[in-house]
Amino acid sequence: MSLRTLWRGGWVLLCCAPIVAAAHAGDMNMEGHMAAADTTAAALGASAAFAADGTLWVATVADGRVVLRHSVDYGKTLSAPVAVAAQRQDIDSFGENHPDVAVGRDGVLYVTWVEKLPQKWASRIWFVRSTDGGRHFSSPIQVHRDTRALTHSFDVLAVDGTGQPVVAWIDARDHVASMKHYKMDDPRAYKGLAVYYTWSADGGRTFAPERKLMDHSCECCRLAAAREPGGSVALFFRGVYGDNIRDHAFAVLPTDGAAPQPQRATFNGWQVAACPEQGPGLAIGADGVRHAVWYEGKGGPHIWYGQLDPGHAPQHVLQIGGPGAGHADVAADGRTVWLTWNQVSAAGYELKLRVSHDGGVNFAAPEALAQSAAAVYSPQLLVRDGRAYVAWNTAEGFRLVAVEPQR
Amino acid sequence: MTRMKQILVALLLAAGGPALAAGAGVQPLGAQQVAQLVAPPAHGERIIMFWALSCAYCEPNMEALAKLQRTHAQDIEFVTVATDDIRHYGADIDQRLQDAGMAGYPAWAYTEATPQRLNFLIDPEWGGETPRTLVVLADGRRSAVSGRLTAAELGQLWPLPDARH
Repeated sequence: MSLRTLWRGGWVLLCCAPIVAAAHAGDMNMEGHMAAADTTAAALGASAAFAADGTLWVATVADGRVVLRHSVDYGKTLSAPVAVAAQRQDIDSFGENHPDVAVGRDGVLYVTWVEKLPQKWASRIWFVRSTDGGRHFSSPIQVHRDTRALTHSFDVLAVDGTGQPVVAWIDARDHVASMKHYKMDDPRAYKGLAVYYTWSADGGRTFAPERKLMDHSCECCRLAAAREPGGSVALFFRGVYGDNIRDHAFAVLPTDGAAPQPQRATFNGWQVAACPEQGPGLAIGADGVRHAVWYEGKGGPHIWYGQLDPGHAPQHVLQIGGPGAGHADVAADGRTVWLTWNQVSAAGYELKLRVSHDGGVNFAAPEALAQSAAAVYSPQLLVRDGRAYVAWNTAEGFRLVAVEPQR
Repeated sequence: MTRMKQILVALLLAAGGPALAAGAGVQPLGAQQVAQLVAPPAHGERIIMFWALSCAYCEPNMEALAKLQRTHAQDIEFVTVATDDIRHYGADIDQRLQDAGMAGYPAWAYTEATPQRLNFLIDPEWGGETPRTLVVLADGRRSAVSGRLTAAELGQLWPLPDARH
């Protein structure tokens, strides 16, 4: 951000910005002043996954534990919550941190979450599995061997083509090592954090020693994972390039000892020493096309769709959102591509959708799938039998919003 | 910051007649308080810095802005706003502000489970990244910038460029 932009662009843009406050004051918590942690104001971080039999599994956090609920009627009714671990923890739920649920072969459930430690920015990542449909869970295991009190956070859980769990996360160990030698403002100091990952070869009983995927990742943006046609898990995530340029990287996660080869995959050039707290989305078609959505704030907020061509600029780039749009996701099935995001206005939230029926070359106009006056979490697209559903956790409850098939 | 300086800052803020009370702990910010937060100050400018518990760039930015405020205490009000939910993280926010020497400055924190709507109500041109510095002048003009401010950018916050020769 240059000084000229700050003052010339900034004044012009904002001097006349309407003040649209106080339109919805009904949900104010006037009693909230310095209250102790209020567990009724639940953190909204959530994830959902369909099992092969059509059961929907939903992971959220309640009272210091990850809980699973399931639905056999596409979200119309949800089971009572079942805690996946006995012990309560300080579960990290700020920003885009959320518990993850995924389904392996034969309906095995995998769950991960981030425990916040007392030390500043320190956290660790836990994993459990259930082989009996969520009745019992294994004892929690830490997925990383590194036991130091530093950031292991924003994990993403995926299942590879053989049904094995793969976990990737943002890790501060390289940054912390650098801070022993350089102050934060030293140009030689380590930029950002790093992405590490691990995988299991025994269905989640144990995990391989973690590997570094890439140095210099963004610190607080969720990672996006999807499966390649060959069965490997691929990752799309925000990096730090050069002097704080917050473009994204794409990498396949090798689990055979091969060296990972992350490549820069977006080139917007947003340079900012900040935490965007808004990570990307990724879906990979059976044809191998890597459909992606991402946020960047150069000259104002933009949400983009594009097809990744790692090492080069994405193809078929389309701006799908501007002011008030956030936290987009993408899914693909055959020639159909769905995009969804939260759109805020003074009236509250709308869940937006755009659909392409030609593999992401052209998209129909945006439509509103649902509304919420209460706070909402990032929408997550799921595909089941060729139909798309959006998992949307709101302060008034979890919703599975079905996308109507093409009329 | 010494206790004497804290008192001085509080007195100066009070003398300027700001709408925001100083030193009263972290206040919850919901949609209803946004107009008050961004209302033009009676004099000079109000610098509002948005930050988050997860943001490593935020505390240095906060400290630099507080230093600027102390240098131009007659002309600048400085206010911090945490975008984390005060109902969950009130104690963490308060502790972090104290550690950063912000005890003398008015402080707010969001009281919503996710920040997207309040971010938009405060500034539609902001995607939620922190730190975010919003400057409101007495004449109603506003300017905002994302990211940790450089020394040169800090120098442009006050005195205003159009008051220079």
